[in-house]
Amino acid sequence: MKKLIPLLFLGLAAVGLMLLLNSCDDGASDSAPSPQTGTGGSMARFAITGNTLYIVSKQSLEVYDINQGGSPAKAVTKNLGVGIETIFPYQKSLFIGATDGMYIYNNSTPNDPVLLSKYTHVLSCDPVVVQGQYAYVTLRAGVNCRPGGSFSSLDVVDISDPTKPQMVNSQRMDTPYGLGVSGNKLFVCEGDKGLRVMDITDRKVPIQKHFFQEVPSYDVIVRNNQLIVTGKEGLYQYKFDESDSIEYLSKIPVL
Amino acid sequence: MKRTLLVSCLVLLMVSCYYRDSEPFIGNVKFDGTGYRPVYKNPEDISKVEVLAAQSLRKPGKIYTFDRYLFINELGKGIHIIDNADPKKPENLSFVSIIGNYDIAVKDNWLYADNHSNLLVIDIADPKAPKVTKVIPDAIPVHNYPPLLGVYFECADEKKGVIVDWEKVEMEKQPKCYR
Repeated sequence: MKKLIPLLFLGLAAVGLMLLLNSCDDGASDSAPSPQTGTGGSMARFAITGNTLYIVSKQSLEVYDINQGGSPAKAVTKNLGVGIETIFPYQKSLFIGATDGMYIYNNSTPNDPVLLSKYTHVLSCDPVVVQGQYAYVTLRAGVNCRPGGSFSSLDVVDISDPTKPQMVNSQRMDTPYGLGVSGNKLFVCEGDKGLRVMDITDRKVPIQKHFFQEVPSYDVIVRNNQLIVTGKEGLYQYKFDESDSIEYLSKIPVL
Repeated sequence: MKRTLLVSCLVLLMVSCYYRDSEPFIGNVKFDGTGYRPVYKNPEDISKVEVLAAQSLRKPGKIYTFDRYLFINELGKGIHIIDNADPKKPENLSFVSIIGNYDIAVKDNWLYADNHSNLLVIDIADPKAPKVTKVIPDAIPVHNYPPLLGVYFECADEKKGVIVDWEKVEMEKQPKCYR
């Protein structure tokens, strides 16, 4: 028995090391994809990864090779369904938000993305952001989005197998637009209603921590503990950390 | 031979049914007195891009960050370029006026922006004096119908110009076009 104890310790150390390495991997993945390209919000129709520019039109995905930054060269057009709204690149995948669902493309070959799956839901407007094995999708009911007076929601979708996305959580929202995710924080723009700050220490279950009703919000960018929010009153900037405190930095007002 | 012919005829018949069924709700929605009317602009006006002094935000849309800079779209009108080196004191540098602009992306010193159906390449090496270096026409597919299903709309008339938007208005008569 005594002989087994050191082995047990070794085993635990190995498990610990694996966990550490994994979490590092996770952390690295939410920062910007590469230093020479920028970061957009979740409502974007334009996205750049490496040397490829992706544009989603209402019905298609247009792919441009921008190795020569000054002269983009058309690589391919992928026809999609109707009502395409947003694109969010994450690691080797592209997440495309449409009025009837979320498309997941594999872009290992950046100039020729391949459709892996489509997570279908009721008709609505829905940007998407991704962190680790979960995609966070807002579904907004509205005149042009989800006719018939149904409700809006925030869905958490397990994408650990991107060919079989599975909804694991859904909760009601008011009028959600863009959203942003970083570490244990999820920010949801609620249009004129304000900005929600959710805790996602349990990645599957977002729990509301703050609801800033005085900050009308349309889209967010979250980067290096910095939060940039736009809305009809202007652009707000905040600093945040793992705790629940959020520090106001500045505002560029709408005049 | 006869049998093959029969089978292929049957298959064709079935296929024709299938395609008809997949047409989106034709005529299923009753005209309710409202419809969509195109907003026209002439092509020369659309492609005019100007760099102006910093402007205040009016209807801000999407945002994009790159290096120390922040780009804020002014819905359908252009891009505010902000120096955000100190997020406590962002400094508004300039405004690039672009009709039909909603989206932005940046790689190195190149900014890509939509200009209705055109894709613009803008050199922002000097962000106070951005320069359009390339226009790629018809890069972004646009359609001569509203981006909605189950709606009535005034049919597009190419002679009136390029459609930059659709507005929902009350209409006395049911318009001819529907989708």
